[in-house]
Amino acid sequence: MAFASKRLGKELAKIHGSLPPGITLVTAEGFQEWLLDIQVLDANPIYMNKTFRLKFKFSPSYPIEPPEVTFLNTADRPVPMHPHIYSNGIICLDLLGQQGWSPVQNVESICMSLQSMLTGNTKNERPEGDEQFVASNRRRPRDIDFYYHDNTV
Amino acid sequence: MAKDQPPDTDKAMEFKEKGNKCFEKQDYRGAEAYYTTAINHDPKNPLLFTNRAMALLKMSLWDQVITDSLHAISLLPTNMKAYYYLAQAQIALHQSESALTHALKAHRLCVQEIQKTGKIGASLGVITELVLRCKKEDWERREKERSRRRGGFREEIMGLLEKERDRVLAEAQEGGERADLKREFEDKIEDLRELFASSDLAHDPRQRKSVPDYFVDDITFAVMVDPVVTKTGNSYERASIMEHLKRSHTDPLTREPLTMEDLRPNLALRAACEEYLHDNGWAVDW
Repeated sequence: MAFASKRLGKELAKIHGSLPPGITLVTAEGFQEWLLDIQVLDANPIYMNKTFRLKFKFSPSYPIEPPEVTFLNTADRPVPMHPHIYSNGIICLDLLGQQGWSPVQNVESICMSLQSMLTGNTKNERPEGDEQFVASNRRRPRDIDFYYHDNTV
Repeated sequence: MAKDQPPDTDKAMEFKEKGNKCFEKQDYRGAEAYYTTAINHDPKNPLLFTNRAMALLKMSLWDQVITDSLHAISLLPTNMKAYYYLAQAQIALHQSESALTHALKAHRLCVQEIQKTGKIGASLGVITELVLRCKKEDWERREKERSRRRGGFREEIMGLLEKERDRVLAEAQEGGERADLKREFEDKIEDLRELFASSDLAHDPRQRKSVPDYFVDDITFAVMVDPVVTKTGNSYERASIMEHLKRSHTDPLTREPLTMEDLRPNLALRAACEEYLHDNGWAVDW
């Protein structure tokens, strides 16, 4: 069933109406790929005065299936430092995985989850094995079985 | 082929298969011809009529779709697909009221089928969408009719008032009295115009605010047709929570185990959604 475009159309209408602080829509062309910018609003020194760009990729079965969400690395938009974010932009967050996803989540709620994931972080570091993972991974983010070993970060 | 020939179900199946092959190749005319031959061999098989209706639907031959669907239903009253094709042909012909009745019937049959077999196909989603489309079209029809009737009504009342004004003024004496009467009628006409305008405002598209969240399914973001409630108390459109359950047996909010058997229809909410869409058909495409 391809209700992705209908639901995304409605999400977009809401997003054009209002978005929580620190989240802005960059582009939403078609219903395959959207770009959004997020900022951390408190004074966390790791992310102060920085803006991060998220890429959402939707399948025709969204929201039954999760979207693929990654951070982009561009000239003025770095990939945020975080023990659950690889330097190639892949995010290890249960809510975005096959198991943790729920169709009541949406683009806005994902952005807010990522915002708070950054807000609460105090470690200015990459996940263990980042270099090796980035060099060897060929799988799509949502097919990777991350081991959600540390829920305190 | 002679009509009084005894039915030959094997032959009929053979031609039905040929028809299906054509259909897959999008050769709908060829499919129709094979289904017709199959029907001649076995005129009591409702599925042959349903298949032909499906091919006719692809060719936009609405009247023939209606004939075949109705015939298929007369042979098999629980023919969900026949109701589904019938509703689509009727909506194309702007017979929105019957289309809605038949789309709802297809929906009910589809739900019964799922409950009987425990199998969730792809049908319920598309049927739910069709029900919503029919509701919108039917609302549009009633809106058009209302505004047409209202336009006529306004003209009629205005005409009566103007006639009365002319009669009174013709009888009135020249001078002050006549001028007063004239002003009085002008005020009345202006009041009447305002009265109509202010009640038209209630039907003005610009007055349409957002759809209340409690009518909206959290998965499709559409107004619900057949809400079912989970043990968290949250309601979802039956088709979308079923689609979710195909993938994961969890409650979307709590991730606790959830199966089809745990779902209960939310009748009060269904009635509320129905009433809301009856008056706000635009909400289908907000």
